[in-house]
Amino acid sequence: MSESALFELRNIHKEFIKGKEKITIFDDLSLNLKKGDFIAIMGPSGSGKTTLLNMLGGVDKPSRGQILFNGSDITKLSEGQLAKWRADHVGFIFQFYNLMPMLSAERNVELPLLLKNLSRSQRKKHVNAALSLVGLQDRAGHQPKELSGGQQQRVAIARAIVTDPEILLCDEPTGDLDRNTATQIMEMLQTLNREFNKTIIMVTHDPEAAKYSRRQLHLDKGQFTDLETAA
Amino acid sequence: MFAQITSIISMNIRSIPQRFWMSLATVVAVAVVVAVLLAFLAMANGFRTTLQGSGSDELAILLRTGSQAEINSVLMREQINVVSESPGIARDEQGPLISPELYLIVDGKKKDSQIKANLPFRGIDERGLELRPNMRIVQGRMFEPGKNEIVVGEAIQREFSGFEVGNTIQLGRAQWQVVGVFSAGGSIFDSELWADVRTVQNQFERGNTVQIVRAKLTTPGDVTAIEETIKSDQRLNLDVKTEKAFYQEQSQGVSDLIFYLGWPLAIAMALGALAGALNTMYNSVAQRSGEIATLRAIGFPGLPVFFGTLFESLVLALLGGLLGAVAAYLFFDGLTTSTLGSSFTQVVFRFDMNADVLLNGVILALVIGFIGGFFPALRAARLPVLLAFAAAA
Amino acid sequence: MSDLYLVSKNIARNKLRLVLNTFAIIIAFLLFGVLGSINNAFNAGIELSADDRLVVVNKINFTQPLPLSYVEKIRAVEGVKQATHANWFGAYVEGSKIFFAGFAVDPATYLDVYADYLTVESTQRQNWQQNRQGVLIGEKLAQTFGWKMGDRIPISSNIFSNMDGSHVWDMVVEGIFTGAESQADTNYLLFHYKYFIETQTFGSDWVGWIVLNTTDPSLNDQVANAIDEQFANSFHETETSSEKQFNKSFLEQLGSIGLIITSVVAAAFFTLLLIVGNSMALAIRERTREIAVLKTLGFSAKHVFRLVLSESLLLAALGGILGLLLAQVLVQGISQAPQIKNMLPNLVLTSDIFIQAVVYIVVLGLITGIVPAYRAMQLNIVDALSRR
Repeated sequence: MSESALFELRNIHKEFIKGKEKITIFDDLSLNLKKGDFIAIMGPSGSGKTTLLNMLGGVDKPSRGQILFNGSDITKLSEGQLAKWRADHVGFIFQFYNLMPMLSAERNVELPLLLKNLSRSQRKKHVNAALSLVGLQDRAGHQPKELSGGQQQRVAIARAIVTDPEILLCDEPTGDLDRNTATQIMEMLQTLNREFNKTIIMVTHDPEAAKYSRRQLHLDKGQFTDLETAA
Repeated sequence: MFAQITSIISMNIRSIPQRFWMSLATVVAVAVVVAVLLAFLAMANGFRTTLQGSGSDELAILLRTGSQAEINSVLMREQINVVSESPGIARDEQGPLISPELYLIVDGKKKDSQIKANLPFRGIDERGLELRPNMRIVQGRMFEPGKNEIVVGEAIQREFSGFEVGNTIQLGRAQWQVVGVFSAGGSIFDSELWADVRTVQNQFERGNTVQIVRAKLTTPGDVTAIEETIKSDQRLNLDVKTEKAFYQEQSQGVSDLIFYLGWPLAIAMALGALAGALNTMYNSVAQRSGEIATLRAIGFPGLPVFFGTLFESLVLALLGGLLGAVAAYLFFDGLTTSTLGSSFTQVVFRFDMNADVLLNGVILALVIGFIGGFFPALRAARLPVLLAFAAAA
Repeated sequence: MSDLYLVSKNIARNKLRLVLNTFAIIIAFLLFGVLGSINNAFNAGIELSADDRLVVVNKINFTQPLPLSYVEKIRAVEGVKQATHANWFGAYVEGSKIFFAGFAVDPATYLDVYADYLTVESTQRQNWQQNRQGVLIGEKLAQTFGWKMGDRIPISSNIFSNMDGSHVWDMVVEGIFTGAESQADTNYLLFHYKYFIETQTFGSDWVGWIVLNTTDPSLNDQVANAIDEQFANSFHETETSSEKQFNKSFLEQLGSIGLIITSVVAAAFFTLLLIVGNSMALAIRERTREIAVLKTLGFSAKHVFRLVLSESLLLAALGGILGLLLAQVLVQGISQAPQIKNMLPNLVLTSDIFIQAVVYIVVLGLITGIVPAYRAMQLNIVDALSRR
């Protein structure tokens, strides 16, 4: 069974200017990610974990180097093309959920679908499927302020998967949750990876959360150390 | 407590630059409202002053019954002879102190815009001049009876073309020479042209009729005796009032309009400015909720916080009010303009921005500032500490 | 859910702010609607003047009389289709203090010269022409006093005296006339010249002014000159001008009403721009994080730009339309007041004000939204999301 490289990062160099200093985060970083991978990226603050995630999501660009997604270089895409690429291929999950406060749960989940050419009933079908997957159909009409932290994160997950993207990018998904809820969320992510073959790249500080991944990468001073976990 | 209040007030005010644009919006809004209100009030004030200063309690005016204005009235020689014998009218060696006058309209051109204007042309005799003690010639001389000569009021010379002393001007079908300029103390007569009454009668084919009779009263303000005379004689279908009352009525129309248009307009705009002020102040409270929460957590009671926000609003509004008042003063005060009076003639008046008018403007600004700050201040004072911390986060 | 749904949900997030901003916009458009209508009403006399109607007045001043004989002479001038005459009567109802306009006119010709301006039902017209004491009442005047056909009404003049010693003329309502346009003045009455001139005490055979139609508007100047030349150097020299010019010069005497109104409305709008513009900018600034999230979901920068601009347009439309409707109600109310009926008989909110208002709504929405929309478009996702 050949697993082609979904993501290929080649010779990534990333720096930015802070005041008068030029800070280099990555210098000649390369990485291959396969479809179906579940990767946890860990490391000290400021090591560039979130920056890496952002680059994978097309939200940030490297100063030099290439990022190949299925063979094509996404660093060459324009802003509009990247937006479309994200809508088609990527789902984001944030530490603080980032739901729209004035929309109900199901409307929040529906948001990414507005970017596709779907009819109202088609959209409703996808939203229902996503919500039932995370087990929140009965809360569909509630606003975020009426939901607990764990429930909000589940809505966020539903939003992230409603367009059926190949990739899920998670930035500290359990950072704001208690242990039990965190476990719930991680089990959900694991299911998405094992049953639905979603490629998940997760940045985390939480070693318990990292245990759910297939592969752990330690990022320090711009370089990776691979810590394999049993699949 | 006082120290707490003052320290919070100064904190609030010194933080205004952080909310520069929104605060500026409030200041400008209040300034505009106050400027508009003051302009209207100054207009109404000036107009009223001109007309009111034009009336004396010592004189009575006699017109045909029901005449709204001098130009509408017609009086026959016979009527004048009868009524001038009435008690209540002062007399001297020459007889009753009355002045029969003609009041016509002729065309003039406004100096600045060259627009055609209706000018009042009054035919008056020597007695008429005697009855006007506050009138004096400031340039040239008085006209001679029987000649085609006119004198013009100061305002006429200032606002309309062609009335320099020595000029000949066509009025009606004849030429008239401007022989002098008179001042009537800023009253409505400053906007008039005067000539000898008999000459005017001739030139304008008025026979022996006039429009109005002025009479000196034996008792200032008292026209009852004359009223009795009129009632008892069928031939006299006349109205009599003191000159003061007459001009007061005249001014009602236009100054009513200005007043009834100006205040509602200002209030409508004030409401709009109030919405802006509330917006700014609620925003100020929201922006500073962290600060406020900290103060409350430290132990400051609600009252100083309330005053802090309220004062911030008052300061902004006052600033706007002063700005608007200064702008209105610079633009409008002393501006003279003319408009249609009640006889379809031009009345020249000044925008008169006195202390009374300015006070109105400041009061309006403070009212907006108070209401605009009161409710947000209430919210600031009652902000639950935890909520404020959360909001600030 | 659509973009519109998103936009309207965003607008309603802070209810207090929405109310305050909408209120401010309503006030501005209310002012625009009412003041604009007043301005229009002042100018309506000018706008509604006919192209081919000329007015002949005494050169000294329009308050001076002209001889009746001039009418026939003017009718003979080349280019004159028909001529009529009128005398200002100045009217009020005996006992009341409400003044209105009354004209003593030539019943045979007056309605023809003003055919495009006034409409009277033909039997009423005939009845009026045949009754010496007959009077035609304008629609608005009839409404004010509740007069109906056949009513005997005593009309007083505040200028003239009747030979019988009073200043009352008894008249019979023979017809009610309406204006051809909604803004036309119908707050006056028309009665017979002969009834007036033969009973008043001011002299005989004189008229206030003469109104005529030309056979072609292009002949206006020629006809005007011909008439004025004919009477030059006579006892009563004439000045002939188009109706439009005549009305205009009258209005100009009032001073620059138009300028005042325009300045006030402009000031109001300027302030509004500041208030709402700031509010919009602030609202968008508060939503930086959410806008960034939308972008991560795949909303393009252009899409985000559109969303923000739609929000400011929606807000402007909300307040603007409500303000206009309120103005409509207010204008209708004001126009009923008797003082207003006299001064501004044509007070109505016309369609051109509506159209102007719509344009201003769009302009307001665009100006208040353009900078926040641009900022949102340019928003850097990384920076926005990293701010904790």
